[in-house]
Amino acid sequence: MSPLRLLLDVAVRSAWRRLLALREQSWLLVALITTFLAGYVVLAFTLFYGGLRFLSRFPGLGGLLVERLLYLLFAFLFALLLLSNLVIGYTNLFRNRETAFLLTLPVPTRTVLQWKLIESTILASWAFVFLIAPLLGAYGLVHRVDWHFYPVVLVMIALFVVLPGIAGCWMAVAVARLLDRKGFQILLVSLLLALVGVVFFRFRPEPITDELLETRVLAVIDRLLDNTRFAQFPLLPSYWLSASVQNWSEGAVRTALFFALVLLSYVLFFGTLAARHLGGAFYEASSTVHSRGSIFSRWAWFQRWEHRRRGARRRSVSLRPRDWLDALLAWPGVVPSDVRALVAKDLRVFWRDTTQWGQTLMLFGLLSVYIINLRHFTRQLDSPFWISLVSYLNLGACALNLATLTTRFVFPQFSLEGKRVWVVGLAPIGLVRVVRLKFWLAGVTTLVVTLGLILLSCSMLGLDLAHQVFFGLTITVMTFTLNGIAVGLGALYPNFRETNPGKIVSGFGGTFCLVLSFLYIVGSVVLLALGSPWGWRPEAMDRFTPARAATAWGAFVLVSILAGWLPLRLGLRKVAVTEL
Amino acid sequence: MIEIREVVKHFGDVRAVDGLSLTVPSGEFFCVLGPNAAGKTTTIKMVVGLIRPNSGSVRVAGFDVQTQPLEARARLSYVPDFPFLYDKLTPWEFLRFTGQLFRMDDRAIRDSSTELIERFHLGEWLNKPIEGLSHGTRQRVAIASALLHRPEVFVIDEPMVGLDPHHSRVVKDLLRERSRAGMTIFLSTHQIPVAEEMADRVGIIHRGKLLAVGTPEEIRRRAGADLALEEAFLAITEDEPESAPPPGSES
Repeated sequence: MSPLRLLLDVAVRSAWRRLLALREQSWLLVALITTFLAGYVVLAFTLFYGGLRFLSRFPGLGGLLVERLLYLLFAFLFALLLLSNLVIGYTNLFRNRETAFLLTLPVPTRTVLQWKLIESTILASWAFVFLIAPLLGAYGLVHRVDWHFYPVVLVMIALFVVLPGIAGCWMAVAVARLLDRKGFQILLVSLLLALVGVVFFRFRPEPITDELLETRVLAVIDRLLDNTRFAQFPLLPSYWLSASVQNWSEGAVRTALFFALVLLSYVLFFGTLAARHLGGAFYEASSTVHSRGSIFSRWAWFQRWEHRRRGARRRSVSLRPRDWLDALLAWPGVVPSDVRALVAKDLRVFWRDTTQWGQTLMLFGLLSVYIINLRHFTRQLDSPFWISLVSYLNLGACALNLATLTTRFVFPQFSLEGKRVWVVGLAPIGLVRVVRLKFWLAGVTTLVVTLGLILLSCSMLGLDLAHQVFFGLTITVMTFTLNGIAVGLGALYPNFRETNPGKIVSGFGGTFCLVLSFLYIVGSVVLLALGSPWGWRPEAMDRFTPARAATAWGAFVLVSILAGWLPLRLGLRKVAVTEL
Repeated sequence: MIEIREVVKHFGDVRAVDGLSLTVPSGEFFCVLGPNAAGKTTTIKMVVGLIRPNSGSVRVAGFDVQTQPLEARARLSYVPDFPFLYDKLTPWEFLRFTGQLFRMDDRAIRDSSTELIERFHLGEWLNKPIEGLSHGTRQRVAIASALLHRPEVFVIDEPMVGLDPHHSRVVKDLLRERSRAGMTIFLSTHQIPVAEEMADRVGIIHRGKLLAVGTPEEIRRRAGADLALEEAFLAITEDEPESAPPPGSES
């Protein structure tokens, strides 16, 4: 058996055993997660189906709108897949113990790379396939396609996801060769700022007057669609996929096949190139990553400076009692030193995990861009109904982003601390207090972001003080609840064997945390929207109704306590008796 | 046989390994000692091909690790201080997996495994997932899998970590036997009694340089006739001359 087949065999076997391990979990939880996933498919399908039907019935323009939507969706997904593949590929190639193990065996480096490329592509893309499956189902139903549309589209998507996988792998190798952690952080933050800048200026909608809306619908839509034409750039892989899917659905099989073959030819060309020739560059990059001081050390001035610094440090034996973070935390003068130490440690560990928070930064960055751009829609959003609707949707979007953050970073905290039990667990601070501290630290830190975004959203929508207070308080409660879920379930479902937080999250507890967070967000937003203190009837929307507000808020607080406080309480109780 | 020639490795502007030359002939049990951050692990990583030296060369069993990596790795085995194992596999599946990667046929895998399983008392754990095994048992599985294909060169970093005295003895006896049968062993450790007991020759690395190499007796004599190896080690690494050439760095 070839080494690649052996590695595939081990991976399939391990995955199967992970699946079988579900039998050891509570059936109630397994059923809950399965129902959630099925619920997503059904709900997403219903929404996509309704949306596509609505758009396709738009007189004269339905087809065009649906087509543009499809191209746009695949273009954005392509960009997200690229980013996801870069992050996962980098971690998998250069921060993975299996890779280091394989590099000492008589396995060609190109085989190691091929295996890691396959693994990263699958890890980065499975969620993409799951997310768009309901959309393609709805698309097929709206266009009344034949049965063969679905398997063909599946094959096309399987081809499509390979390209960002290969590109992500190339980028990961390039990043590893050229940048150290600090360089990567600088690049990432610069990229984000550039992206925010480009989106901010490039996609700023032009003002549309009432007269224009009534008289020249075609011109308006043309102007609105103008900024999305980039999605139909013929050299984009997403264009080939979209064109192929669209043509097959319309019965233009030859054209569809043409685009599918374009896709296939690129996959084969770049796939062969990567599989056969990237192995050497990967080995060089791996060696560089494991032998790096600083990327600046190639310059003589840096070497001289570093030499002086090290010499001075050796002479003075000064341990730099404080840096700016310690000074900042010590500033109020009331926080005990053990709390300060834990907070500083957690913040440093978070900041240094660049590859992971980079994705979160991108998501919150895009959300900020969207919220900032809301100011250009104030003319269209002149009805209190729409303003209210957008406010609630913004609340949901912000909370959903936060849920991904808490699940990814807050949930694995206790498991990781358990691994370092000899430091923190045995310190006189006590594990219960450590977990409680983590809850408050995560809650306060994330609140800065979520509250900022929600207040920005209110300001962009021109909402009054009552609305701002209402949404501000709501997101505050939701932020602490989501952190309570993550901290509580993290303590209830720990994994002390694993050191990789990504793997801790991908287990049963992490999935449950994400599902519960999503259910809580959807439930809360619907509850709050239904019981909105300002109501939904246009004639009464400017009147604040205290009774309605009290009812909705009462129910919301109850749901928040059940969803957030309860897991936290149970988690803390378990921590108190946990044998590490 | 391991041949290290004038190897230099920089980590940024730090010279982790500084012109190290050393030959370990076939069948020799060589122990490398050194303080923390002396360059031992970096040297090992270059020997097994995990990182590329900035200059110089490393040959394993006659093959250059950088230019003929597959030939070199086929004759080499490496067990790091915290070895990687697939958690969801059983020890028997892991042994088969590594045997197949080294292109052993089923019969050879079975024969070699049978001996190692008995020696390391792994029979009880053979069909249980690795994730449920203790640290010591995992270490035994890792060593067994590394010895499965009867490598010509065996590189091991802190082999006794996590092993009880009984299994430490098993590992020591097995390594000694294999060494007598011609296997070259390159062992890195902080446990000086292990080096004293096992090694044909000992090398002391400090700040990337090989300061002393020889039999434990020679090292002791070099530092002062009455000194134990531990004291000799301390004396050598404390009195390290900045630019003196490493004595006896060539075998």
